[in-house]
Amino acid sequence: MNCRRFRTESEAETIALGAQLARHWRAPKVVLLIGNLGAGKTTLAKGIAEGLGAAERNEVSSPTFPLIHEYGDPVRVYHVDLYRLDTLAEVATLGLPEIFERDAVVLLEWAERFPQILPEARVEIRIGATAGESRELIVTELPEPLC
Amino acid sequence: MAFILGIESSCDETAAAVVEDGRRVASSVVSSQTDVHGKYGGVVPELASREHLRAIVPVVREAMEQASVTWDNLAAVAVTAGPGLVGSLLVGITYAKAIASVRRLPLIGVNHIEGHIHAVLMEARGQVEFPALALVASGGHTHLFSVTGSLEYGLLGKTRDDAAGEAYDKVAKLLGFGYPGGPVLDQLAPFGDASALPLPLARMKGNALDFSFSGLKTAMLRWVESQDMQAEINARRDFLRAHPRPTLDEWLALTPVPARNAIAAFQRVVIEELLRRVEAVIADQDFRCVVISGGVACNRGLRSAAGRLPVPAFFPTPGLSTDNAAMIAAAAFPKLARGELSDLTLRAKANLTLA
Repeated sequence: MNCRRFRTESEAETIALGAQLARHWRAPKVVLLIGNLGAGKTTLAKGIAEGLGAAERNEVSSPTFPLIHEYGDPVRVYHVDLYRLDTLAEVATLGLPEIFERDAVVLLEWAERFPQILPEARVEIRIGATAGESRELIVTELPEPLC
Repeated sequence: MAFILGIESSCDETAAAVVEDGRRVASSVVSSQTDVHGKYGGVVPELASREHLRAIVPVVREAMEQASVTWDNLAAVAVTAGPGLVGSLLVGITYAKAIASVRRLPLIGVNHIEGHIHAVLMEARGQVEFPALALVASGGHTHLFSVTGSLEYGLLGKTRDDAAGEAYDKVAKLLGFGYPGGPVLDQLAPFGDASALPLPLARMKGNALDFSFSGLKTAMLRWVESQDMQAEINARRDFLRAHPRPTLDEWLALTPVPARNAIAAFQRVVIEELLRRVEAVIADQDFRCVVISGGVACNRGLRSAAGRLPVPAFFPTPGLSTDNAAMIAAAAFPKLARGELSDLTLRAKANLTLA
């Protein structure tokens, strides 16, 4: 089964789900977090970083402005946010291909806008707000067929 | 007379500055705000390491020339060591190491956030009394620190999601004011009725002095979705494409009352989030004054609201609020005096903490 659906009812549940998913991942791994503003991408990243033992949930904040946050020493989680980048030339300056090869989990926000830079082997997590605090999450392992 | 050259390349800006005796800014050059590219050839957007690499030599040269100093006049070279983007930090650090090594100058690694605090300490010229409370709020940071007279820092709270400036910029983009449009919201806020739209204050579990702006951002998104205002938003986006720097009157003409009210309400909540935590700390502990710095310190609403605080609040001038290198040089003076020097093993640290 390469496509799984989850439903969470609170921020705490989304964090717990992130931790649960991350425990099965082996670095190097590239994970896209896909969802609108306020969907809970950074919330899920908190759970993933915590699940991997790279940072506590309260240490994980939005990387929009700095573009990349690093967690763990040595770095076990890179949290990348391409929200404020508009062109492929700008993205190219970040040197992501090299980061993808490191012994780490790389979380990417707003990277689906730049499919050219994505490795074929990756996990895609789509997060949608259903109502209030509840969220639906669809986890797809690529390159197997889409659901 | 002692001069320190400061170099900053932690994020978008390549900046260099010369500060004299920790008090006078002899020069402060920020790549995006000057014509160094035009002067030295090559025009590029300011982003990440490759662009820092292009800018660093002309920016440092410009700072030295504007300050009318030579390498022989320098007492030290200071450089941002983190937090920031490693590739970007490395450009400044490597350049600073080269200067320090060739000119046999002390090298001083500075924390970017500490730099923001020192922008105020330098400009306030001894008026800041300690212990002080420092609020650093920008696009990338929202931190609350205690600062002692011997410049020891204690972290009291920080954002768990978005930075304050990031919330401004994202809400501005959502409303069609472009990115980064935080300053536009600050300009428009006085023209709305903040009480017209109830927006939630963050409820923090755990440390009540931590910040959260993600819920406010989502509340603004939900409000926009409920308003059937896509035509209005598109009109602003179209106007911005045709006129890259609209005037306040032009923005007002494109912003009907409901949006103005929402902007006013948003601005009020951000200011409340920031100042209520400051007030909570002051009520509980003995702080003599408050230092507010980072890009959000330019916000006029915040500056005026800070007047309600029971202790004096100090802000940097706008040029030293946003990222600059004068603050890095300023922070290096006490380190030089105390002999807190770095050596050539100084490393870029993406997640460098101050406390």
